[in-house]
Amino acid sequence: MTISRREILKAGLAAGTALSIPSVLRAQSASAASRTVHMVKTHALSIFDPIYTATNVTADYGAAIYDTLFSLDSKFMPQPQMVGKWGVSDDKKTYTFELRDGLGWHDGTPVTAADCVASIRRWGQVAPGGQMLLARASDISKKDDQIFKIVLKEPLGPLVDILGDLTPSCLFIMREKDANRPATEQVTTTVGSGPFTFNEALAKPGASYAFDRNEKYVPRKEPSDGLAGGKIVNVDRVIWDVIADQQTAMAALQAGEIDYYETPPADFYSMIESDPNLELQVRDTGQDAVLRMNHLQPPFNNVKARQAILHLIDQDAFMRVMAPDPKYSSAITSIFGSTPPYSNDENTGWYKKGGNPEKAKQLFNEAGYAGERIVILDPTDWHEGDNASQLLASELRKIGINAELASMDWGALSVRRANKGPVEDGGWNIFITTENDYGLSNPLTDPMLPANGDQAWYGWPKNDEYEALRAKWANTEAVEERKDLARRMQAIWWDFVGDVRLGKYVVPIARRKTLTGLIGVPQLVPMWNMKKVPA
Amino acid sequence: MTGYIVRRIVSTIAVMAMVGIFVFLLLRLAPGDPAVMIAGRSATEEVIAGIREQLGLNDPLPLQFMRWVRDMLGGDFGVSIFSGRPVLELISQRLEPTLSLSVLTMILSVSVGVSFGILAAWRTGGLIDRLLAAFSAFGYSVPVFVIGYFLIYVFAIRTHWLPVQGYKPIEIGLWPWFVHLILPTVALGLGYIAFIARVTRASMLEVLSEDYMRTAAAKGASSYAMLVHHALKNAGVPILTVIGISFAYLIGGVVLTETVFNIPGIGRLVVDAINNRDYPIIQSVLILTSGLYVLINLTVDLTYTLIDPRIRY
Repeated sequence: MTISRREILKAGLAAGTALSIPSVLRAQSASAASRTVHMVKTHALSIFDPIYTATNVTADYGAAIYDTLFSLDSKFMPQPQMVGKWGVSDDKKTYTFELRDGLGWHDGTPVTAADCVASIRRWGQVAPGGQMLLARASDISKKDDQIFKIVLKEPLGPLVDILGDLTPSCLFIMREKDANRPATEQVTTTVGSGPFTFNEALAKPGASYAFDRNEKYVPRKEPSDGLAGGKIVNVDRVIWDVIADQQTAMAALQAGEIDYYETPPADFYSMIESDPNLELQVRDTGQDAVLRMNHLQPPFNNVKARQAILHLIDQDAFMRVMAPDPKYSSAITSIFGSTPPYSNDENTGWYKKGGNPEKAKQLFNEAGYAGERIVILDPTDWHEGDNASQLLASELRKIGINAELASMDWGALSVRRANKGPVEDGGWNIFITTENDYGLSNPLTDPMLPANGDQAWYGWPKNDEYEALRAKWANTEAVEERKDLARRMQAIWWDFVGDVRLGKYVVPIARRKTLTGLIGVPQLVPMWNMKKVPA
Repeated sequence: MTGYIVRRIVSTIAVMAMVGIFVFLLLRLAPGDPAVMIAGRSATEEVIAGIREQLGLNDPLPLQFMRWVRDMLGGDFGVSIFSGRPVLELISQRLEPTLSLSVLTMILSVSVGVSFGILAAWRTGGLIDRLLAAFSAFGYSVPVFVIGYFLIYVFAIRTHWLPVQGYKPIEIGLWPWFVHLILPTVALGLGYIAFIARVTRASMLEVLSEDYMRTAAAKGASSYAMLVHHALKNAGVPILTVIGISFAYLIGGVVLTETVFNIPGIGRLVVDAINNRDYPIIQSVLILTSGLYVLINLTVDLTYTLIDPRIRY
């Protein structure tokens, strides 16, 4: 048998082609990988309706697939998003909104004013700001397919701020047929008009969820600024991987299997900082730790006992057990959090570094405390809350208070905290929670700030003078006037001690350095604007 | 035999009914409320009450129980309280990863564990036996998550040979499926290898001391023939029992491995459902798992007759 030169050349060419296939495939695969971002969220997405639930992960899902009428810019000022033009009558009672051109649902139909009206009505059933809007509105209706109006019985100063508020449940605009459901009935369809579409085919409940770039989305012309401006999507797909184990999530980030890890534990910070491929990034305003007391039951139905807790707290010590890295925690003395412009220092003379246990002991005595059991609900499945509850119990015992920890998971705590009765009947005295620092800047929408007794959040603080000022907030449009209101409200709050703050902390996200352009806003994690550069 | 199978299936139904009542009551009497979990940490009582009403959680317990039983007998396992998706759909999506991991682990454990057991019995008291005893003690006593993290560090982070986490369905390709299961299988299998090896060794030693083994040796049978043809077959019943129990235990007990290697299996589904108080998922998985457990035991019992003809039902 003889082999010709031409045959050798053919065979060589074929072999070369065959050998190059894997590298071609690898190159294609690498290119696709650079257009796909893998994110690990704090919680798994299990509910697909951002009005039905106020959980953050569902709000993030909402921010991806739905759009909003207004969005807050980086200075927390509302800017039109779906709205093109809007105006208000001279008597400040009639608002008219016109949708901008090019808005369409993922199913190909156009967004109409009727969709917006139905969405506002549904959101108004559950969101505090929306409830206030519905209570003041005499008419919310469409004028035509592009224009709708809100007519108020009396002016509502921050109406546009409320429409653009980013605190879950945010006002995400849904299709009229979805929004016509009661807010307590879940919408399970995933059709929005936002910059991403939800990829149902790739959804693996409890494992991963995929969002694709909405090719038909028409962004605003303005540059991206906070949540406002053009929502430009620079990647083809974002996948939310559900990784329950923190160590595994960290290993996946190190190995390049994921690009973003939302809440790495503090133990991993040094490991992340020493890895040349990884970076920690603070993109949120953080959480304020809040201690709620039951105002309806002894001893905290007595203001002296509540003041005792205020003086007892050593915020540094609480932050050490809740957020061990001091870089990411600080003291907080304003009930409006640390976010401008309403954070202030009015009536904060109670604050003392290290706390003031002697003063606390004296105040408990003045309150007539006689050794009653003080039950602290201790959420053992929430590490930070568990640590803080144990520290609190220890500090109380040191000054002779009969503190008892009731250990339970957060689910059980959420049920027990609704019990207004005495501790002998399954009630409670204290529990610790957190609230978004930015959310606290709005006394109309944040659940922690009302002090209207039975209608207030758990703990049921009541102060009519404070509430009268809070009601004024709704009628005040000028920022300077609201700042003055904020100071007066805070002065009263710290006198009657509606609740107690334990400090503020922030959990930075961890990301690979190849992922850039993440928008830093509180509460939500927008996925537009981010870019992934090939490694 | 048929009568025996019918009796066992009837008893299976009784067991599942008892599990159903127990699980239903346990979940309803345990503290926690799915409406609270849905509404979010800062939700008002009004919103929570509305969700609770809509989910039917305010109905009397007997009514809720009867509704659940009626639907289940009609093949309807309900929908997840959270996602609103059919529970059977969610379970079927999670079945493949758990079964893949369990079957691979059993293949590895049985093949290696039985071989090690035979080897240790054959060289009892020798170096191999001692080494295998040490290995068994190690495999049995080191927690699966320690082994898991160690394997991830060496084979995924340091060398990049294998993926850290995740699962690829078999339909995507045999190789991606297999590659993602290598580390979890080894981590999970180590304990079972140790267990099966110890039982096999003990069982083999008992048989090897029988008179008929001495007779076989006197007749000049080779070591291989003595160990595999004569001893292993007679030592098979206890080994098979252990394998059966291990497999049943494996299906219900892979949750830790699934968590460490981020495999979206049944175990993770139940843990998430428990955290969320998603009653329909927890109830359905526990009912189906208990049924599967009884079924595996029945299969093992029936397999005895193939190994030992003296066993009759």
